[in-house]
Amino acid sequence: MIDLIIALIKVVGIWSFTLGVAAVMTWVERRGAALIQDRPGPNRAGLFGILQPVCDGIKLFTKENIVPEKADKVLFNLGPIMFAIPAFSAFAVIPFGDRIIIGGKEILLQISNIDIGFLYIVALGSLAVYGVIIGGWGSNNKYSILGGLRSTAQLISYEVPWGLALLGVVLVYGTFNLREIALAQQGTFLGILPNWGVFHQPLGFILFMVAAYAEANRVPFDLPEAESEIVSGYHTEYGSMKLGVYLFGEYVNITTLSALTVTFYFGSWHLPYINMASFLGDGTIIYGIASFLIFCLKVSFFLWLFVWVRWTVPRFRYDQVMKLGWKSLIPLALFNLFITTLFIQIKYYIGG
Amino acid sequence: MAKPVVEKKYSFLDSIYLFEILKGMVLTMRHFMFNFFASFRPGPHTIPTTWQYPEDRREISPIFRGEHMLMLDEQGRELCVGCGMCAKICPAKCITVEMAKVKEGEESKYAGKTHCKNFNIDLLRCIFCGFCEETCPKSAIELGQGYELSRFTKEECQLGKERLLKNYHWAKKNNKLKPKKVEAEQPKDKKE
Ligand code: SF4
Ligand code: SF4
Repeated sequence: MIDLIIALIKVVGIWSFTLGVAAVMTWVERRGAALIQDRPGPNRAGLFGILQPVCDGIKLFTKENIVPEKADKVLFNLGPIMFAIPAFSAFAVIPFGDRIIIGGKEILLQISNIDIGFLYIVALGSLAVYGVIIGGWGSNNKYSILGGLRSTAQLISYEVPWGLALLGVVLVYGTFNLREIALAQQGTFLGILPNWGVFHQPLGFILFMVAAYAEANRVPFDLPEAESEIVSGYHTEYGSMKLGVYLFGEYVNITTLSALTVTFYFGSWHLPYINMASFLGDGTIIYGIASFLIFCLKVSFFLWLFVWVRWTVPRFRYDQVMKLGWKSLIPLALFNLFITTLFIQIKYYIGG
Repeated sequence: MAKPVVEKKYSFLDSIYLFEILKGMVLTMRHFMFNFFASFRPGPHTIPTTWQYPEDRREISPIFRGEHMLMLDEQGRELCVGCGMCAKICPAKCITVEMAKVKEGEESKYAGKTHCKNFNIDLLRCIFCGFCEETCPKSAIELGQGYELSRFTKEECQLGKERLLKNYHWAKKNNKLKPKKVEAEQPKDKKE
């Protein structure tokens, strides 16, 4: 019973946390874009415009809910749901802090600590495309279907280097369990560098980041949306809260991907060179909170990176995206995997 | 004839994108930082390219063509004689003038022998060309500085005589009248 209540608290807590982050991100995105482009951006609602997401939410909720006459009603309504669910569920296996021990009971700061966390993440990553393609197909609009098709092609191409790059990390730490990967990043490696994935797998990290931007349909790979080419692609026909769910799902996706980046490559809740557990005491509440805050700090940097890159890089052409995916990223990812296995084997023979 | 396609040669650094993207990101960060700190400075007009409208407004040129006003002379007499020239020239046909003789005992109010009893400009049709101002023989009508002309009803967009005069008084009080026109030199060898 106690276990159930704790799990429920964690689920609700993390769910509202991601929702909150996504809401704030809509504001950060608009404000950041504005400041990069030398204009002030939304700055009227509340202090520095921080209440803007609330206003947007009210606007989207009160708008008329239009379903186009020729659209497939079922698929049209299913699209946003199919898009949002994988985005939210991916957070279930990501550890957002170490553990708290209360009265001899161990509470992991992670919704569910499953051994195949990695596979779960990759599987959900590919599911996200259904929301886009179903929405595009259901709208019965040529631009929407074009956006959906582009998204499919892009996801198929970029899922491969994405997964292969992550596989490198799995090889280095020798586990599919996300919590164990996070735990293994404590301490240093080669004497000077923190034992983080990014230092074990610099090439893998770059490949992962590029593929992650493509996964999230963000600029420079926002071909499924591409306002200037196919008028917002798959969500052209959507309005009111259905559009809101799509836009929101995108930010939830970004949050998940940032959290993944931190977990796999940036030492999750660990500070470099400092072993927090040893001087805050492993399992104390303060340690739990501190580890959560450090995790949040790292995630917020990557969230900002998504915004920053979006307003720096122009969109790729479609053939360029495909060329980059198949001719550069996949061979490099395979190469990375090869080198990693080679080093692990050499280490095994020398050390073992 | 199709234009020949020029293949741009990319160096190795260019072709792996990353270095160029980093350079771009440094540039955008510079802009971001500048505007970020600028937006914390007090005062409405801190980000140089944007005017935060109701709080700070742009300077308007003294010869701006905005809301009309009916002019008075130095003694405070109405200049308009109700001749209807402006109504005639107006390309949008939005002026209606009604002429009337100046009544006995009211000479101090009007500069001429006649005056306009009613004067109406339909702002919904006006295109702010300024022909009325140019053609008026008495320089009795001018386009002022007012540009906030949106109203809730159609009736409020009709510029009556009252509002035209009010515009003049406002402009005079705030020193927003146009600088006096330099009269074009008359040819001197004009034969009688
Ligand atoms: S404003 Fe000028 S042109 Fe128009 S009726 Fe009056 S005097 Fe004539
Ligand atoms: S500005 Fe032009 S359109 Fe407007 S009232 Fe004068 S003459 Fe007519």
